[in-house]
Amino acid sequence: MTDMAGPSENTTLRQRTTASSKPEYPTKLTEDVEVKEVVTSVFTPAEQKQSLTVLAGLTVLALISRFYKINEPDEVVFDEVHFGKFASYYIQGTYFFDVHPPLAKMMLAAMGYFIGYDGHFLFDNIGDSYVTNNVPYIGLRALPAFLGAMTVPIVYMTLREAGYPIVTCALAAFFITFDNMLVTQTRLILLDSMLVFFIVCSIYSYVRFHKTRNNPFSVQWWTWLLATGVSIALTTSVKMVGLLTVATIGVAVLCDLWVLLDIRRRLTMQEFMRHFWARAFALIFVPMVIYLFWFYVHFAVLTHSGPGDDFMSSEFQETLHGNTMADGLYIKYGDNITIRHKDTSVYLHSHPHNYPRRYEDARISSAGQQVTGYAHADPNNIWHITSDDPSNPKTGEQVMNKDVIRLLHVSTSSWLLAHDVASPTMSTNEEITTYSTEEDGSRLNETTFQIMLDSGGDKFRTMASAFKLIHVDTKVAVWTHPQKLPEWGFEQQEVNGNKNILQKTTLWWSDSVEGKDAEEIEQEAAKPVKKRSFFLKYVELQGKMFSHNAGLTGKHPYQSQPIEWPFLTKGISFWTQNDTRKQIYLLGNPLGMWIAAGGLAVIVGIVGADVLSRRRGYYPLNQDVQRRFYSATGFFFVGWALHYLPFFLMGRALFLHHYMPAQVFSYMILATAHGFIFVEGVDAPISEPGPEVRPRRLQRAVVPTLAYISAAILAAIHLASFLYFAPLAYGTSAIDVPGLARRRLLSQWEFHFAK
Amino acid sequence: MNNGTSSAVNQATGPVFRGPPARTSSKGTMGQDPLQEASHDATGTGNRTSLDEKRDKINTRYPGEDHSQFTKFKSRRSLAWYQDQELQVVGVITAVALVVRLWAIGYPTSVVFDEVHFGGFASKYIKGRFFMDVHPPLAKMLIALTGWIFGLDPSFDFKEIGLDYIEPKVPYVPMRIMCGLMGVAVVPMAFYTVRNSGHSLHAAALAALLVLFENSIVTQSRLILLDSPLIFFTAWTVLAWVNFHNQRHDPFSDDWFIWLFLTGVGLGLSFSVKWVGLFIIATIGISTLNQLWTLWGDLRITPRNWVNHFIARAFCLIAVPMAVYMLMFEIHFLVLGSSGDGDGFMSAPFQMTLGHSLQDSPLSVAYGSTVSIRHQGTQGGYLHSHGSNYVTGSKQQQVTLYPHKDTNNDWIIQKRDGTVPEDLEYIANGDYVRLMHVSTRKRLHSHDHKAPVTETEHHFEVSAYGFDGFAGDANDEWRVEIVDHDGSDAASGEMLHTLRSKFKLVHANMNCDLFSHKVKLPKWAFEQQEVTCMRSAVVAKTTWVIESNQYDSYPEDVQMVNYKKPGFLSKFVELNKVMWTTNAGLTDSHPYDSRPSSWPWMRRGISFWGKDQKHIYLVGNWFTWYLSSAAVVLYAAIRCLLFLRDKRGYHDNAGGLREYYELSGGFFFMAWVFHYVPFFLMGRQLFLHHYLPALYFAILLFSVTFDLGCRFIPKRFRLVLAVLVVLTAIFVFRTRAPLTYGSEWTRPECEASKVLTSWDYDCNQFPQSYDQYASYAATAGDKREEQEQGYERDQEAEEGEEYDQLLEQAVPAAEMQQAQIGEDTALAQEEQSGGAYASDDSQITDASVTTDGQEPSSDSDIDDEELVEEA
Repeated sequence: MTDMAGPSENTTLRQRTTASSKPEYPTKLTEDVEVKEVVTSVFTPAEQKQSLTVLAGLTVLALISRFYKINEPDEVVFDEVHFGKFASYYIQGTYFFDVHPPLAKMMLAAMGYFIGYDGHFLFDNIGDSYVTNNVPYIGLRALPAFLGAMTVPIVYMTLREAGYPIVTCALAAFFITFDNMLVTQTRLILLDSMLVFFIVCSIYSYVRFHKTRNNPFSVQWWTWLLATGVSIALTTSVKMVGLLTVATIGVAVLCDLWVLLDIRRRLTMQEFMRHFWARAFALIFVPMVIYLFWFYVHFAVLTHSGPGDDFMSSEFQETLHGNTMADGLYIKYGDNITIRHKDTSVYLHSHPHNYPRRYEDARISSAGQQVTGYAHADPNNIWHITSDDPSNPKTGEQVMNKDVIRLLHVSTSSWLLAHDVASPTMSTNEEITTYSTEEDGSRLNETTFQIMLDSGGDKFRTMASAFKLIHVDTKVAVWTHPQKLPEWGFEQQEVNGNKNILQKTTLWWSDSVEGKDAEEIEQEAAKPVKKRSFFLKYVELQGKMFSHNAGLTGKHPYQSQPIEWPFLTKGISFWTQNDTRKQIYLLGNPLGMWIAAGGLAVIVGIVGADVLSRRRGYYPLNQDVQRRFYSATGFFFVGWALHYLPFFLMGRALFLHHYMPAQVFSYMILATAHGFIFVEGVDAPISEPGPEVRPRRLQRAVVPTLAYISAAILAAIHLASFLYFAPLAYGTSAIDVPGLARRRLLSQWEFHFAK
Repeated sequence: MNNGTSSAVNQATGPVFRGPPARTSSKGTMGQDPLQEASHDATGTGNRTSLDEKRDKINTRYPGEDHSQFTKFKSRRSLAWYQDQELQVVGVITAVALVVRLWAIGYPTSVVFDEVHFGGFASKYIKGRFFMDVHPPLAKMLIALTGWIFGLDPSFDFKEIGLDYIEPKVPYVPMRIMCGLMGVAVVPMAFYTVRNSGHSLHAAALAALLVLFENSIVTQSRLILLDSPLIFFTAWTVLAWVNFHNQRHDPFSDDWFIWLFLTGVGLGLSFSVKWVGLFIIATIGISTLNQLWTLWGDLRITPRNWVNHFIARAFCLIAVPMAVYMLMFEIHFLVLGSSGDGDGFMSAPFQMTLGHSLQDSPLSVAYGSTVSIRHQGTQGGYLHSHGSNYVTGSKQQQVTLYPHKDTNNDWIIQKRDGTVPEDLEYIANGDYVRLMHVSTRKRLHSHDHKAPVTETEHHFEVSAYGFDGFAGDANDEWRVEIVDHDGSDAASGEMLHTLRSKFKLVHANMNCDLFSHKVKLPKWAFEQQEVTCMRSAVVAKTTWVIESNQYDSYPEDVQMVNYKKPGFLSKFVELNKVMWTTNAGLTDSHPYDSRPSSWPWMRRGISFWGKDQKHIYLVGNWFTWYLSSAAVVLYAAIRCLLFLRDKRGYHDNAGGLREYYELSGGFFFMAWVFHYVPFFLMGRQLFLHHYLPALYFAILLFSVTFDLGCRFIPKRFRLVLAVLVVLTAIFVFRTRAPLTYGSEWTRPECEASKVLTSWDYDCNQFPQSYDQYASYAATAGDKREEQEQGYERDQEAEEGEEYDQLLEQAVPAAEMQQAQIGEDTALAQEEQSGGAYASDDSQITDASVTTDGQEPSSDSDIDDEELVEEA
């Protein structure tokens, strides 16, 4: 660190005038020459020391805010139901299914493992007591709380590395320390603490990387590039919203590459591609490996059958110890089987009654024997499976995928048949009926069906094989839906031929083979747990996670719309205790968030004014200030936008806490906006000098007293608001009715015990 | 993090954004990326003079070539029409279009596809009965106007696909011709759009002919549908905008204003046909912003002058379209003055304007008065009970929400102890009351039973309970909590006032709120809307008002209130909101719906109609379609390539062609993007015909690509090439024309016409040879007819399936209602069956009025009572 004279209050800000402004090429020195020292930091040692003190102080505050009475409440709160449970499952090795990637849950589980928790408790209901169930919940909560606290110094250092004066950095860190939502959400057994922590790590690493850009491919450059890659990988391994962080870094990298591509940078295409591949390796390949690694661990740990089995295919389930899938019997031609519908669990059924010739709506049927879906076990559910060739029934041979079969209804001895006649209730679907064996065989081709196995390998089995029955002649799938037939059909469920054979609801399975003797079952059932390649397992699980996540459209009383988040019009009730009238109500720091929303508006206004005036040939901003504004604040703004706007496109149920990552960015933006308004000039340069970069004169920011005063006022407002709402964030003390009424600034906040 | 060279580079391009004055004015940028312009300038090319020089060079390189089209648009008015080659070309093409589009337009002689809806709306307009539809009114009113002029008998209701037009003498031919002519007009407009963008006659004619011979556009414009007007107004807007753009060197001139104004009118009209008109608004909007941005960078233009530019555009492109749009609704409201099947969608004040009347009621509500209580969160109607019991839960008397006026909606308000004070005592906020159902003498009651349909833990059953001599119990007590009130009447926040106080009824014992949502009870409760008592419910669904209030003891001079009849604006806003929520709720699947990703390669069409071994199936001209899609991809690829090459310092100018490609091509490309990409965000069901406006722009883009791609080959080859393309398109059109016109076809030809196996028209319905059509008609015997009938119904059902189902269900439901509870008036029957379907694209729109008990997805109601987030 060079001892350099602080450059001077007398350095006037370079005010570029319109007339003299010229495009500035890096290779040409137009002005600002004469500084020959090699500088590594524009900050003085004294200032660095001061900064460390402030950093330490803020870290302590952050730890206090997160760990304050962390033992309360000693009951299960909100989504601890899920994530606590998952931790238990990890410790016990029981397979479960969740829409989020595994890292954060494994971290919690590891924490539990190290403090000696055996995973006996399943966190079933909000309000279950930890004490009576003997769960070391404080240890479990300590991990998120610690990471939540560590977010604060990292944000401080990020802004510091981006070249902001102490007051700006401290302001951002302070806002993050005393935000009610961040506090509530990070001191419980939830994933968001890890998520936010890794996000800020990503941003920090990228800022560090960007600062080394004048020495490409140096050790430092590689270190921070890889650190960025690792951080975004960890973020994405916590929750899929980490992809938004990836997008943020991606946008920055693309901008960076775009600049490098410029012919005036004089990089050859080979050099440019080297840059490109280095980034691709560190930011795409490395993160993918890390992301997959956690899944590898996930599968390695969860080896026993559990509540997640049913989400997975039967091949997958067979890899788990103690799964019933292994009990599946191989079905051979000539077996009598029962067939059940996957969705509605009815048996494929027929009985000696016919469809009416003419329905109530005057449509005409074939008046053939009814085929219905029946919910109960019954001899009429039994079907005899045989090949499509009457001369060669293939008796005893294994039924394979894509075999063409016929099904004989045993008790009425008639063949299952589909034909182009409208079904009883849906005129677009085909009627399914049966056709007596006594009549002549001319309708053979209408009675043949192809078995299409959806899962469970190539051999048709009970239990394990889900299959579709595709009518060979007309290409419809045998299907049923919860529409009851009228009285003539005994109000059983309608079965018909669905033209859309891709529908998942056309799946059936066979649950038993009639008359197979127990010995044979025993013999077949004794199968070892199967192996399956990691990638197949991963692809399947990832697909299920996506489809399930998109399917979370159920309504929830506390869900909210993204447009509401920056204005905090709705909170979430996390936990209530009737006896003590205590509650935890997730709510951001209202005043802080509103101020931050104002900060965002200010930024947009500044950008608009700057762009418009530059278009008119007027340059209102000092060049360094402008650069800093766009490269730092602009970067954070992109982060905010990318962590917020995509939620508008999501159909699933959304909650206020989804705004947390964006909120961290918004506080950082607020601080830089404050700096933009109150601090004159910027400290520059802050990037490391490189061999090809011309030395530049150092510039110092001037922090006037007003900046400190205004920052102090903002901080005071924020802190007061925090303390005022703190009882709702911590749930450690009850508020009386008038107190709640006073705190209910917006009528949409529905506190409990308010009456 | 800001030293180094990155921002210096940006700086370098910064100043040139302004551009030297002489340049910017000569270069209009339309739909063009400003960055692109910047890079042009940065590389020192592209000012006017050098462009002209280049042009001269090309002229010398290819002597004898006419490159005059290259110059900017010139008025060609000076020529007499018969001398003008262009007009002759357009005349011929339009004449061909008239023949092609209107050929045998009277066939089929029965209702096809969505004519069910749009024909039906025409009848309703003529009757003046209010209805609800998700589309704005313009095109429907045009159809209705045509029908009215030609004497459409409004008793014909277009009820189902296949209904005969001939027998009831429906003037369907003029109605179809009206749509058809709009389709014809698109052809010359395509010509002029390309021509006036500065392209050659070849390109313009090519564009017009490709649009002309596009099977799907032809099919769609021959029937009584909204898409033909939509494409017409969209094409019109673009033409006007191109003409306006050509006036850019002469701002604020008459022509400039006329075309700007006409663009605005076009925007308004497009938007008044369908909301997808928003896409053309976005297209023009971006183009406008680009223009303003260019002007802003032109330092010769003073801020004041710029403001003039801005105001002129804001007026013509914002105010004018809005005025047009609102005007259409004004006409809509004027025509639909009386009550109809759309009433049920609208609020009570709105219904007041449709001939529903409500007597004035006393303002203050006293104990002992008889009131009717209306639910605010849904348009479900009044708190209702009748002499039937629940078959579930407590098996006590049902309490429902019923949309029509009826004596069973009357409740008497009693004190907490079930008495009525002798003196007048008014009800205040927070009072506990009981509600006695007048006709059955039972009290509104709730208890710890699961609600009949919504069986989640937060819903409790609400019943009417009690018998003579029973004093009631604590479960009859409800607390009145006023949650909102009319601002003009401050007292209504404290005292319960008729119409003005919006209140919750909170059950005293269980602390749940009286609640209703768009969930229908089963048939045993006549499919009326469910009422429950719910905890943690959203406030909107628990809000009620007193609508009528009667009590003999009120003094003579009591202050009376009634709904304020809403003015045009509030009606307009309300109807648009309802349209929006209904539209968003169209999420059911349809046998022929498709996702946008399948459109550019036309994976599948739509079956419109089938009868007598003839079939109408919406499918495009694959040749035109794939050429246009290829042009779009090519354009995107070329622009990306050029973008990268610019950055690497290569200056591809292609002899000045690039500018043209980026200008007109860029605009059409942007229009295509705006008419296509937003569909990906829509959750509702979509159909192939939603792609047609985008297809139109893709065809224009293709003709531009063709023009510039052929620029360097001699003119006669260019002509030959254009003729080849057109002939191929015509051939492809001709070979699939039977699907467009519903004319005779044979099975082998049908089989041969399938380019993709996923085109699912059934070739088996066509006979082997044409002569079988004659024999088919001759041999149609009784039995055969019966079979055929079944078959037809099957076909029809493909389109109108849900409609049919609904009708089947709705009518008996209403009948039953009348039979079983006499009090529910006869009016109910009609409304019940009619109000059941409002439609879009052959689909029932509002799940709230279908009888299957589905909840519309747009409903903000709380359904899942788990207090834990599903992780």
